[in-house]
Amino acid sequence: MKKINMTVLTPDRPLLSNVEVDSIVIPAFEGEMGILPDHAPIVVQLKEGILKYTVSGVNEFLSVFWGFAYVKNNEVVILTEMSELMKEINEERARQEFQKAKDAITMKGADMDMDTAQASLKKALVRMKLVEIRNKSKV
Amino acid sequence: MASLRDIRKHITSVKSIKQITYAMKMVAAARIKKAQNSMLLARPFAIKMNEAIAMLKNEMKESDFKKSSFYDLFENEYTSENIGLILITSDKGLCGSFNVNLIKKTLSFIRENSDKRIHIITIGKKGRDFLRRVRMPHVYFYYEMFGIFPKASYVHAEIISQQLIKMYRGKKLSKVHIIFNEFKSMISQNMVEKVFLPLESAFESKFQDENLQSDFYFEPSKEKLLEGLIERDIKSQLYRFLLESQAAELSARMTAMENASKNAGDLINDLTLKMNKTRQAIITTELNEIVSGAGALEE
Repeated sequence: MKKINMTVLTPDRPLLSNVEVDSIVIPAFEGEMGILPDHAPIVVQLKEGILKYTVSGVNEFLSVFWGFAYVKNNEVVILTEMSELMKEINEERARQEFQKAKDAITMKGADMDMDTAQASLKKALVRMKLVEIRNKSKV
Repeated sequence: MASLRDIRKHITSVKSIKQITYAMKMVAAARIKKAQNSMLLARPFAIKMNEAIAMLKNEMKESDFKKSSFYDLFENEYTSENIGLILITSDKGLCGSFNVNLIKKTLSFIRENSDKRIHIITIGKKGRDFLRRVRMPHVYFYYEMFGIFPKASYVHAEIISQQLIKMYRGKKLSKVHIIFNEFKSMISQNMVEKVFLPLESAFESKFQDENLQSDFYFEPSKEKLLEGLIERDIKSQLYRFLLESQAAELSARMTAMENASKNAGDLINDLTLKMNKTRQAIITTELNEIVSGAGALEE
């Protein structure tokens, strides 16, 4: 079976480079998008969400916060500002962040930056979801 | 001649200075590995980013490109007398000529452009303090950031680039220069002064013919994608400059502190020699006195 070569890059470090995967589901800007081998060339913008990829039958997950993906000749390059492997996420911290972001929004201080608060809430949500998936797969 | 006690005191103080400089050297040496590493890790992202931009620009028609909202980042018609400057220095001293060179360059830049208004973004305390002190009438502070070294991260680059774009568009700057030190090797830094905005046509590539169909799908439109990418490209370039400067600062500090430790060692040797000479001189005089005293008694 044909494989896709996936590379995930962040400004701080290359997260994955040239991993051979069977399929990828990326959180595109207008909804999730599945990519299988021999996909048509495409450039998409990503929003925050969970990137799912399958390596020889096993599902793996990444968190992605804003970025781009381009697909060409069975090669997928994902450029993202921030990304974490599932195992890197700290459950306790994700929960705290979520609580903090939620508090910030409900309090609505006069000098609060709504965009920033929303963004951090979304980030926390993605992390929480990933933690959930991780916990389920463990059981 | 200095007394024995004075020399001893001097030696102790030099010794403690040597300890400090040596410790600083070791700290810088330990950090530099990390700084170099993060430079290496940031590279693939920047390379792919440039590739993606070149590719997207290839796909665009020239007329669309000229109409797009980010065209002003590439070429602008502002002929105003407002120009910008980004100065990256260190927060702390004790790093040899690292900051001195930057400041000299900045001064000559300010003098050359004395007929223009210069808006400045400073990163690092040293540059800010210096420019505060000189106070030129045509120099304006726009934004300052400090305390980020040696832990500069992408978030810092993000904030700076937001401010930069705001300044560029808000003040209608005709160009923005950047002055910083580039990391060349463990022992040498390279000072760089160049035009940062408008972006060089580093992605100099052909435009699509007006009616050629491309094989790529785009979601959302090319213009939107490119707009986002270019903003990110500015960030990733700034991030690279921060990392370069950070590594260069550490390497400059390491060399400076190594020299200082060596000099302190030499000084201690000299002083010890002097101390021993003085001690011997004192003993000789004492002996002389005793012998001559004894001789006087015999007579």
